[in-house]
Amino acid sequence: MTAPASQSSIAVEAQGLVKSYGVVKAVDGVSFQVPRGEIMGFLGANGAGKTTTLRMLCGLLTPTSGRALIDGFDIHAQPLEAKARLGYLDEEPFVHPHLTGREFLNYIADLYRMPRGPERQQRMERLLGLFELADRNGELIGAYSHGMKQKIGLASLLIREPSVLLLDEPTNGLDPRSARLVKDLLEELAALGTTVLLSTHILEVAQALCKRVAIIDRGRVVATGTMEELRAQAGAEQASLEDLFLKLTAGPESRELIERLLAPTP
Amino acid sequence: MSQSSAQVILRAELLAWRHRLLGRGPGRLALLGVFMLLAAVFIGGGAFTVGAAAGRFLPVTRDTILAGGFTSLSVLMLVIGFPTVIATFFVGRELLQLVLAPVRPVDIFAARLLIAMSANLLISSILLMAALGVGVGSGAPLVYFPLAVVLIFVQVLVVTALQAILMSVVLRWVPARVARDVAAAVAGLSGAGFYLAWNISLRQSFSPRDHPDLTNFTSLVNHIEWLPSAWPGHALSAVIAGNTAEALTWVTFSLVFGVIVLAMAEILYRRTLLTGLGVFGGPQPIWRRSAATQAIAVARAGAASPFRAIALKDWLSYRRDIRRLSRMLPAFLFPIGYAFAFLRPSRSITSFWTEVFLVGFISMFMSTALATPSIPSERRGFQLLRMAPMTMAQVIRAKIMLTLPPVLVLTFAFSMVVATVSGSGLAQYAELAVLVVWLGIGFVSVGVSAGAIDPRFDASDDRRAVGIVGTLAGLAGTLGFGLLSVGSLALLVFGYTASQGVRQLGPIPATPAVGALMWAGALVALVGSAAIVITLLWFANSRLRSWEGAIATV
Repeated sequence: MTAPASQSSIAVEAQGLVKSYGVVKAVDGVSFQVPRGEIMGFLGANGAGKTTTLRMLCGLLTPTSGRALIDGFDIHAQPLEAKARLGYLDEEPFVHPHLTGREFLNYIADLYRMPRGPERQQRMERLLGLFELADRNGELIGAYSHGMKQKIGLASLLIREPSVLLLDEPTNGLDPRSARLVKDLLEELAALGTTVLLSTHILEVAQALCKRVAIIDRGRVVATGTMEELRAQAGAEQASLEDLFLKLTAGPESRELIERLLAPTP
Repeated sequence: MSQSSAQVILRAELLAWRHRLLGRGPGRLALLGVFMLLAAVFIGGGAFTVGAAAGRFLPVTRDTILAGGFTSLSVLMLVIGFPTVIATFFVGRELLQLVLAPVRPVDIFAARLLIAMSANLLISSILLMAALGVGVGSGAPLVYFPLAVVLIFVQVLVVTALQAILMSVVLRWVPARVARDVAAAVAGLSGAGFYLAWNISLRQSFSPRDHPDLTNFTSLVNHIEWLPSAWPGHALSAVIAGNTAEALTWVTFSLVFGVIVLAMAEILYRRTLLTGLGVFGGPQPIWRRSAATQAIAVARAGAASPFRAIALKDWLSYRRDIRRLSRMLPAFLFPIGYAFAFLRPSRSITSFWTEVFLVGFISMFMSTALATPSIPSERRGFQLLRMAPMTMAQVIRAKIMLTLPPVLVLTFAFSMVVATVSGSGLAQYAELAVLVVWLGIGFVSVGVSAGAIDPRFDASDDRRAVGIVGTLAGLAGTLGFGLLSVGSLALLVFGYTASQGVRQLGPIPATPAVGALMWAGALVALVGSAAIVITLLWFANSRLRSWEGAIATV
């Protein structure tokens, strides 16, 4: 795993991140911290600002204001140091369709200057085997299914052992067995000290994996904390994460919406 | 009134096109407008003037010119518009949506045909201007002008349908596994054949005599005047000649032929739509390298290099992206054709300067073709480079270093062949070699910068991978660097001649002082050309560093 820069216990820190597109504020002053070795859930409805926040944290978007720190390095002021420690998986993984899985992993390993040799090869083979891609040797990534692209995207992060993982819907399109594999893997990685910020719509995954969650709604973080803290904040002691999420990102109740949809047209 | 499915599809396409256009912002739109206006004035105006002059002063060759014009337009469209036709008829996720919807294949075909015509219509506008010029120059009756518009539109329709037929035939009778390669080979080879035949015919027609001799040109067209592509030309020349019966016959022939081709294209497309979507909709799986070979390559120990990673990735991707290769092949035929054309020394220019222009042209052409799309062709993979611990300056440097070798090798090869044919001396070989390297580095840097200044990462076609700002910056940079570099060489050579006092340079006295002045001018021009390249590289780096945005999956 890439060595952290400092002994600080905070691996990911968003400090008042704002992203404006003209008059529209996609992200409006988002702040949170993810301690080292923790899996933190990042939840929000469609268009709430999750992906924009993640992309600011990984350096793909420049914040209008605010700072994004990875292992203590500002991703915009010290990009090379921060990027060397960071792995980001987009909801549509960035892959090269005309490379095979093995060639793609090699490409990524070279980009991150991982020394070539038997050790790197063994790691690559292990990852390909783990994600059941080893028998897709000669097949180009462009011909992969969505789930397979997701797997090769994950493998391309894990081959270089980053200390921080930012994952946007990593189980999206995966079959149940692969989804379980990813969940187990994330727990193992966290136990080994990797920090994970996990954006997902699957609340069961978040509830099972994440020690803490941050809920974003219309560009603002509306709640952060453990399940117990969120329950206390919402005043609902027995509530599930789904109940809390719906309560904190209040909109019309689904029953009301369905009734409206099915109502006869006048 | 309810719309037909074809109308609905077309409306959606036009809306998408409108959004793409308006999404560029007012500044870019204005630039595009200026660019289109200039193109219309210079290219359209030029074609009109040539047509009018031919109509006025070469009445005997009017039929040949019109028939030849229609046939050459068809060839040009067949080769250049081919990728657009493949993309429109067989590529794109929205086609899958149409296949699933209760839409008749004939509606999909009709809508796609009209969309696929867009590139060909642009090309045909040159012929339209030339044909209108011939009409004006010949004093044609009024009916000639609307008829020319209709016949050219029909010709575009027929050629586009022919391209769809060609692809359908390839898909129907060639195994899907090799369909892409066969399609690319058909496009490349037909382009090569037609272009070289055309170029050689022009070389023979315009060899250095007192007057151009059009015998070869006219005899070539006479040999192919029976082709259906020439029929509309015959119809128009019959209208000019006032022969109504003949004109009606040719028009009828052209229209009947058009209907037959369209019907055939529709039937074949209906049968191959799904196969085509499967074959062209995404990259083909390959099984060329065994796992063992790949594993051995990886196991070799050594330091990892991002530069080598990008080089290997580009090489593999380029080799396997047959769609991209098929678009490049016709483009590479042009330098070959022009090399042939330039081998013929002019009466007023010495062979050395012919070689200099050849080196400049080939170097510029190869750089534009290879270097300009090198950064935008990263597509979504560009985000990987942005997230990797490397700077954009390193990315630009890597792309320049990767593009330079093929450009230098090809330019060297062409220039050495030409220099040998012209019987150049050793000193001139050396001068050419230095020029090849200098121009290669400069043009490649300008090309890579142009792509980095205004990249369109979500373009599926390399020809559309650079936006208008990048294109204009590339054009200006190429022109400025090329002119200053060649100008510098000229001043250096003439300065030497002047300083020796060997030969008078027109009204300029041949003295050592004049020679020194020219050398100083050469140095200034050289520094100027380097400054252009450095400025563009700096601009490219700052644009890439500040670039952000989502890149759609293509």
